[in-house]
Amino acid sequence: MSDRVLLATFEHEDDLLAATDAVRRGGFEIVDAFTPYAVHGLERAMGLRPSRLTWVCFLCGMTGALGMLWFEHWTASIDWQLDVGGKPWNSLPSDVPVAFEAAVLLAGFGSVFALFAVSRLFPGKQPQIIDPRITDDRFVLVIDEANAAFDAAAVRSMLQEFHVLAVEERVTTPGGELQ
Amino acid sequence: MTTEDSHTSPNRLFDATSVTRHNRFLQRLAIAGAIILACGVAFAAERVWSNLLVGTFYLLTIALGGALFVALTYVSGGGWHVAFRRIPEAMAKVLPVAGIAMLIVLGVRMSRYGWHHDWHGDAGTFWFKELWLTPSFWALRAVIYVSLWSLLAGWLVARSRRQDKTSDAAITGGNVRIAALFLAVYAVTFSLASADWMMALEPMWFSTMWGVYNFAGMIQAALAVMIILGLILRSHDGPLRGVFNDEHLHDLGKLLLGFSCFWMYIWFSQYMLIWYSNIPEETSYFITRTHGPWGPVVVGSIVLNWVVPFFVLLPKPAKRNAGIMMKVAVVVLIGRWVDLYVMVFPSTLGETPVFGVWEVASISCLLGAAGLMLFRSFAQAPPVPRHDPLLSESLHYHAG
Repeated sequence: MSDRVLLATFEHEDDLLAATDAVRRGGFEIVDAFTPYAVHGLERAMGLRPSRLTWVCFLCGMTGALGMLWFEHWTASIDWQLDVGGKPWNSLPSDVPVAFEAAVLLAGFGSVFALFAVSRLFPGKQPQIIDPRITDDRFVLVIDEANAAFDAAAVRSMLQEFHVLAVEERVTTPGGELQ
Repeated sequence: MTTEDSHTSPNRLFDATSVTRHNRFLQRLAIAGAIILACGVAFAAERVWSNLLVGTFYLLTIALGGALFVALTYVSGGGWHVAFRRIPEAMAKVLPVAGIAMLIVLGVRMSRYGWHHDWHGDAGTFWFKELWLTPSFWALRAVIYVSLWSLLAGWLVARSRRQDKTSDAAITGGNVRIAALFLAVYAVTFSLASADWMMALEPMWFSTMWGVYNFAGMIQAALAVMIILGLILRSHDGPLRGVFNDEHLHDLGKLLLGFSCFWMYIWFSQYMLIWYSNIPEETSYFITRTHGPWGPVVVGSIVLNWVVPFFVLLPKPAKRNAGIMMKVAVVVLIGRWVDLYVMVFPSTLGETPVFGVWEVASISCLLGAAGLMLFRSFAQAPPVPRHDPLLSESLHYHAG
């Protein structure tokens, strides 16, 4: 990604969706899209890969379930054998509820913290809002200018078809944050 | 709107010759199964009756599951399902026939349900159970359950169909109130019915999770039937082509995945409580079913009802794939039969699983009769509720 990006602001989600699709098909690199709410179909228009978070969730859940089953087995029937109601030491049914809870807990926490990590979210982070109105009623598409095919005039005229409200160039900081 | 214009002919489903051929096949299945079962009455009456109990309860709970889905979505204000709501409505319209079949099957062997068979012993501490299972009271309740379900569900569906003609949006608001009434009635009566008809096969045994366990299996199977019907009705030149889309399939897939887990959760909750407390009068049910030859059958029902749908339907693309969804739905419907088989057969036929010509005949009869009734019921009304105020929302819905 270069340090120069183009910000295109739209008033309607349909325009944003159509423009995103057209820009991607035109061979330009889309940095991100900012919307006040989740716009259905935007991930498809942007050509995003399927989320890998589901795998994090699944693996964390399996780790929780299998890890807890092993731990319960080890504590109750290997390290210190417990007689509960005359049941065998190695009683699988009694281990299942805790294993289930551990699976849910690890899957939940794993997904949330993996999301925080990949989107670099942490307590005390200063929000970088490119335009206050993206939290209200504006839709902003951010296009990378690095591409050799990038032609500002052509992009502007292409965006006009989708009723773009404003087109603005910005420079990003070395950390990749928009200013 | 094009979907409205091209999908309003009520009998289009039966115009295609291929559908007529399928219909004939279903008819043959049903008739062949019924003839074999009729012969079976002479040779193996108890086994034929057990099969009929499983089959009619299967059919009845699918019909009831359709009514429940319609009622739930009205009450929760859902709009996503409206485009294919005629499918659960068609299932609900089978309720009167399925209910009468259930009453006949129960009626011919009412004596099977006595808490003790001679009716002269001292009820002792079980005085309430004796009162509750008094044949006349027990039979009266069965008639009341079936009548209430048929009336309320029929009312709901009839009003929805009337909306096609009158285009009166107020019908939707009225149906929300009827649906709420249905849900309240359903919650109590289905719990009691499952105890009356299935749990009382072993009158000395009881489980307070029986009602919710039966509910879980019911809604899971009903969702599987809706998926199969939706996929059939949208294929080739079916009446729901372009209406029942991948978004609807995706959401039904999520619900099937969720309720498969719910079934497993409830199954295990019932099992673990009984296993943990280890009281003889409660464990009798599971000792027959988990120790000895029924064990593998129980494991099979868990694999079919939970393991397969859970691991196959977890990834998002699987829930949007018609081929995968069809196969999983069929697996779940087989699992539902095995689940009911494990509920009924050990109680009526003892400690060894039996599977032979009578079971095959009853499954063939069930498949044929259910298929015929559901398609016929679907063809009674226009395939899309064209004047439902939420139809447009449903057609443009994104499951994400």
